[in-house]
Amino acid sequence: MADVAWWWIAALGSFSGAVWLALAKPVHWAQVMSARAARGHPAPVLRCLGWLALAAALAACLRADAPTMAVLVWVMLLVPAALAVAMVLAWRPAILRCWGAAVCLRPGSSRR
Amino acid sequence: MFETVRQAMAWVHTGFGLVLGYVLMVVFFFGTLSVFDREIDRWAVPETRFAVQPMPSFDRVLAPVYQRLRPDPADLERVARRVAGELPDAASLPLVSLFAYTTHRDPVLLVGAEFGVPNAPLNPADDHLHVHGRAQVDPRSGTFLPDNRLQIGTDFFYPMHYSLHTSPAIIGYWVVGLAAMSMLAALVTGLVIHRRLLRELFTFRPHKRSQRSTLDLHNLTGVVALPFHFFFALTGLLIFAAIYLPVHDSLLRPLDRQHDVLEAARTGLPHEPAGVPAPLASVDAMVAQAQARWAQRGIPGEVGFLTIEHVGDRNGYVSVFRAGSDRVALVGEGIHFSASTGEILYEDPAPSAVHAVSEFLTGLHLQHFRHWLLRWLYVLGGLVGCVCIATGFIFFTEKRKRQWVHQAPRSLRWVDALAVTAVTGMVLAVLGMLVANRLLPAELPARAAWEERAFWCTWLCALLHAYVRSAALLRGAVSPAWREQCIGIAALAVLAVTLNWVTTGDHLWHTVTTGYWPVAGVDASLLAVAVIAFTAAVRLYGRGAEATSTAVEPVEMSRG
Repeated sequence: MADVAWWWIAALGSFSGAVWLALAKPVHWAQVMSARAARGHPAPVLRCLGWLALAAALAACLRADAPTMAVLVWVMLLVPAALAVAMVLAWRPAILRCWGAAVCLRPGSSRR
Repeated sequence: MFETVRQAMAWVHTGFGLVLGYVLMVVFFFGTLSVFDREIDRWAVPETRFAVQPMPSFDRVLAPVYQRLRPDPADLERVARRVAGELPDAASLPLVSLFAYTTHRDPVLLVGAEFGVPNAPLNPADDHLHVHGRAQVDPRSGTFLPDNRLQIGTDFFYPMHYSLHTSPAIIGYWVVGLAAMSMLAALVTGLVIHRRLLRELFTFRPHKRSQRSTLDLHNLTGVVALPFHFFFALTGLLIFAAIYLPVHDSLLRPLDRQHDVLEAARTGLPHEPAGVPAPLASVDAMVAQAQARWAQRGIPGEVGFLTIEHVGDRNGYVSVFRAGSDRVALVGEGIHFSASTGEILYEDPAPSAVHAVSEFLTGLHLQHFRHWLLRWLYVLGGLVGCVCIATGFIFFTEKRKRQWVHQAPRSLRWVDALAVTAVTGMVLAVLGMLVANRLLPAELPARAAWEERAFWCTWLCALLHAYVRSAALLRGAVSPAWREQCIGIAALAVLAVTLNWVTTGDHLWHTVTTGYWPVAGVDASLLAVAVIAFTAAVRLYGRGAEATSTAVEPVEMSRG
């Protein structure tokens, strides 16, 4: 069931994409990151990463299905991804810290 | 009239939303159930709980089936009103065309036919005078399913989705079409009036006061599934375009008929019968040939749709269409054979770009493809749509509550009662129907009609209950109807699962361990609904006990 593996990758990609796009907004960045990290907010990097992750999700969908079907799966995967991000932000924003930390660890992007 | 564009948009959004929102709620909810219509059928008709079957042999199984197929009495009555003189005995009407349709999820086969009528039409322009007949067949034996069985998924929930079961159905088609149009308008106006929508895309503040969190949820559910909402409203309209813009049957009727004649001349598929009787060659051989052709073209597949035009005539032809299980478009790649000789008359060419787009759009809505992940994602999209509409209602009433308590207490009560009926009441009605389905005796002649009555009665009771209990609104509290109906949902869902176990022996553990997913899935979903409804009720009771005048958001409930 290689298809199933690709769908999982696509789901992870759309969730990560949604997380990074949410973190690109100052409100959510402040909500998720600790006060120290919140000072430098690499919004463009986050936005870029977000779209890249969504593109990767599309690529994974295309590996699993024919293009016409893959596009539908990709668009529909955005629904649970974005909903999940909104719900996690509302109740347990700290869960998303590792997505933000991944960006801060990059040399140069964490402006101290 | 309005000072700003936003005010005008807000007027459109609320006005249409309130009037047609109830319809949209029904359309969304039953559309969601229709994603798994075949599986609900298996649950409701235990006789059909066997493995999925391919299109059976025509020569051995289906040919005798069509000989036993009779015109539908209701259609016979309708046609009798359109013709001069008495119709002859129904059994003597000749079969002029027939079809069989199946998908990768159907153990039973849908067969149908048109029967010719010898009488002259009262209206000379009435050129499509046939009586229809259809039946569900067990493809292993060719026996008909008993008449009194209602396939609740395909015969009740699915038509509810697009026709609301109005009589005549055309009224329902138009109301649903209007609702779909207003939904498209609501999406556009919604984007304009909730201007912070995109900036606050991921924002949900459940801990703020209920108006704020309700609006957050309304915006969130509207935007995250925006492509789904937009394309399903649009493709729904496209599928019924011929009903909403019936030019082919009115203004352009002569042109349309002429097109049929020219098309027949081009493809070589006879438009009219020859009037000379001819026997039917082996259809199985034609099917084998069609499948060999598809395999040759690199697209091996099963037969999804089979038709015969001009049955028993020398001009008769058999069309074999490939099932679209592996793609978005429905059946296609038709190969047409002469019914009497079995030679190929015509092979459908690859669809043009326009046709391919149209097939993609209708296919993505009607979803006969084999893709369980996408199916579940559609269910999620539909439920998210329900939440969006329900939160819209709740926001509307919450905003006006203080004012209306004094000015229009009765209107307030009715709007709230209707909201309860459209959210929890609808789930109750569905569950009431499923419970009735398991309780009614199998030999009851009008069993199907009783199941439908159970549905409507439960819904009506839910409305009355919601109105009676809405007096609490005037004291500034939340209507207790919300939590009471949640308890009702939890109880009925568990009862339905239990009754399925008692009457058929297929309990959840059995269906899961034997891998019979259609029934296991319905049972598991029912239990999930019960858990969600119970949790929602507990939380509502908790908030009710706090006795605050701030209302709660009963949105979780609409996820049933």
